[in-house]
Amino acid sequence: MTVALAVPDVIVARAQAGDEAALETLYRAFETPVYNLVRRILRRPEDAEDVLQETFLEVVRSIKQYRGEGYLWGWIRRIATTKALMRIRRESVRETESMDEEPGKPGMHVGANLDLERAMERLSETSRAVVWLHDVEGFTHEEIAEQMGKTVSFSKSQLARAHARLRRMLDEGAHT
Amino acid sequence: MMHCTMEDLGALRAGEASVWARRHITTCAQCQAELELLYQRVAQLKALPALRPPRDRWPVVKAALRAERSRRRRSWGAWTGSLALAATIAAVLLMRPTKTNTAYAELSQAKQQSATLEDSLKQVDTDGRVLSGHAAAAVADLEDRISVLDGTLAQQAESAQDAELVKLWQERVGLMRELVNVHVTRARYVGL
Repeated sequence: MTVALAVPDVIVARAQAGDEAALETLYRAFETPVYNLVRRILRRPEDAEDVLQETFLEVVRSIKQYRGEGYLWGWIRRIATTKALMRIRRESVRETESMDEEPGKPGMHVGANLDLERAMERLSETSRAVVWLHDVEGFTHEEIAEQMGKTVSFSKSQLARAHARLRRMLDEGAHT
Repeated sequence: MMHCTMEDLGALRAGEASVWARRHITTCAQCQAELELLYQRVAQLKALPALRPPRDRWPVVKAALRAERSRRRRSWGAWTGSLALAATIAAVLLMRPTKTNTAYAELSQAKQQSATLEDSLKQVDTDGRVLSGHAAAAVADLEDRISVLDGTLAQQAESAQDAELVKLWQERVGLMRELVNVHVTRARYVGL
């Protein structure tokens, strides 16, 4: 999904002055891109909803600090990404490389006719984050490493491993 | 025959591949196909439909925002209450014969005016009004400047010369007057 959102400067200025209607306009403009981003990273929809809420709480609190450098979407996206990655770190205990380890989960057995979306769901949240941020959102490995508190090599190897897994899963799906 | 790894293919995509990988890809049909699949996968990822939030979270965000604003106003009110107390103490100190009569009069007048304007502001329901962007910006700016000025007054209440205090209090009266005007003008404009 490519986001090309432009919010008029006057709306941003009003939001910075605390105008509630302008803040709601920002929310309406960015709620789907933010939710889509964090939902692609986080496995559970309820986590994505929580991060959506946390992101906009931060946006309304900090909008005065946005100085207009870069796109507003870039600024909001950074907040959302940080919060999603923080949630992964906080709840890393549930981080598993594959949902194959969850026996009995319907529709998740190997050999199912996987499309790309479902294959993505089967990656770990860290892998999903790297794939989505790099391949879709256009983050560099340096930016991903900085946001994740990891090295550039980690980001590169996660991306390669994730693509190898996606390749395998899609191939298996195509042959069943 | 050795083929490109996924790392090699990613590096080729990023234009950072090794000399070996760059040479190999020109002659190996299998690796060319893998690279093409990688490009296709990324294109498919970008084309996935946007996932929309199942519920509207704006009411929760708005409620939290209002609660925070309300807390800030209450603490600001407490702060101005402290200032009133400080003003009373300062007034008592000003009764001392070491001060000039002109300074007493000017300082007392400025404080009285400031207190009257605070009362006027309380009469206007500032919380319930809808402000235009321009008005909201003006209010935010004035409140910030008053807050800064109050901080200066609190710091200098004991040490500053009468003339400086008079100047600060008169400045505060000016800002308060502007703030009241913004709210009153808006109230008249919308007929509230």
